[in-house]
Amino acid sequence: MKKILTSFAGMLISVTDLFAQQDKFDLLPAASYDRFIVYQNLVIFWIGIISLIVIIKMKLKEVERIQKMGINKEEKNIPVLD
Amino acid sequence: MNCPRLKNWFWERYNIDEIRDLVKQKSVPKHKYEIWYYTGGITLFLFIIQFITGMVLSFYYVPHFEHAHKSIIEIVTKLNMGWFFRSLHHWGAQIAIVMLFTHLWSTLLLKAYRKPREFVWVSGFILLGIAIFFGLSGYFLLWDERAFAAVRVATGGAGNLPVVGGFIKAFLRGDIDVTGDTLTRFYAFHVGILPLVTLCLMVLHILLVQYHGMSVPVSIKKEKLKETPFFPNFVYKDLIIWLVMLGIVVTLATLVPPEIGKKADPLAPAPENIKPEWYFLFLFQTLKLFPGEILGLNGETIAILLISAGILFFFLIPFFDRKSQREERSTLFTWIGLIYFLYFVLMTIIGFIS
Repeated sequence: MKKILTSFAGMLISVTDLFAQQDKFDLLPAASYDRFIVYQNLVIFWIGIISLIVIIKMKLKEVERIQKMGINKEEKNIPVLD
Repeated sequence: MNCPRLKNWFWERYNIDEIRDLVKQKSVPKHKYEIWYYTGGITLFLFIIQFITGMVLSFYYVPHFEHAHKSIIEIVTKLNMGWFFRSLHHWGAQIAIVMLFTHLWSTLLLKAYRKPREFVWVSGFILLGIAIFFGLSGYFLLWDERAFAAVRVATGGAGNLPVVGGFIKAFLRGDIDVTGDTLTRFYAFHVGILPLVTLCLMVLHILLVQYHGMSVPVSIKKEKLKETPFFPNFVYKDLIIWLVMLGIVVTLATLVPPEIGKKADPLAPAPENIKPEWYFLFLFQTLKLFPGEILGLNGETIAILLISAGILFFFLIPFFDRKSQREERSTLFTWIGLIYFLYFVLMTIIGFIS
């Protein structure tokens, strides 16, 4: 009888484990404040990306302007100062 | 930052001027199809994201069938920013494969594989195959029931190949069926073997591209094309696209975190309506088209043989396309490329809907 009871208890513990693993868990931080912080950071991140793109675009335009003028190339037979 | 002493220290030891001159001399042709030049760079950038996020995740992942699933749940729920790194790794992989396919078809349709760039195509194609295996092995590390069933189907399918099938199946599984040994094996592939092979092939691919220069499509080769300096013009444009890509991956990682299914039970039957990852859907759907038996032969074996032949033909296109080798327009291979593309897209959509 003892053996049957022990094995039954063991089975019961295993079954509870099966129920436990079916629980849904949060794939994002659960608290609404934490979620707000996450979304807020995403907006700040995009502002950062857009700002960087604007800076690179400006730099690229400047480079193209200089290339169009042809002053980016080193002159030949330039006198050496030292 | 200006450190003349440090600069001199390097200059005395290495001829950096030579490298600088090489970069300065490099140029990229300017034409209406130049947008496709950026797909390779985007893929490289996404691979870098994968390497970084993968390294972070490997600190906490436990590659054992009893702890793997739990360790991922702990990464997502308990670790600070763990959910973000896992999500970033997932979306980085998805978009990297989309970009790889885009890069592949743009190369095919613009005939950028033609002489003398055959090995650029070969190395790129192998990289795509490795990326797909990266996807499958990484997916399995989740050790959830969907991933378990997908790997069982994929390795079982490989086992249907005549002669080598049995060996491939046993080699991938490490056992008769998919077990904890398969997980150990896939982990070794995912974090050890595949990254090393990818790195070597990527270096070879990039070196070959640098050696041959950018390919210009046959249709516009006769036109007098303008050239854009690689540095800084092309690099700046690349940077802009990389930033946009980073924004997209981060947004998807934040707004659509990937699900984690129930822990896999090797003894349980496969869940109903199970589907593989999207890049396997066209194969999955093709297999469904074949009956169980054709003229007394195993239908699945015939299907896998036909699919393998199709992929092999695709891989060897640069060697079959003689017209492109002669710098002539090759309409036949454009159509072949389009048929492959349409088949892939159509079968993937049907796979999603059905």
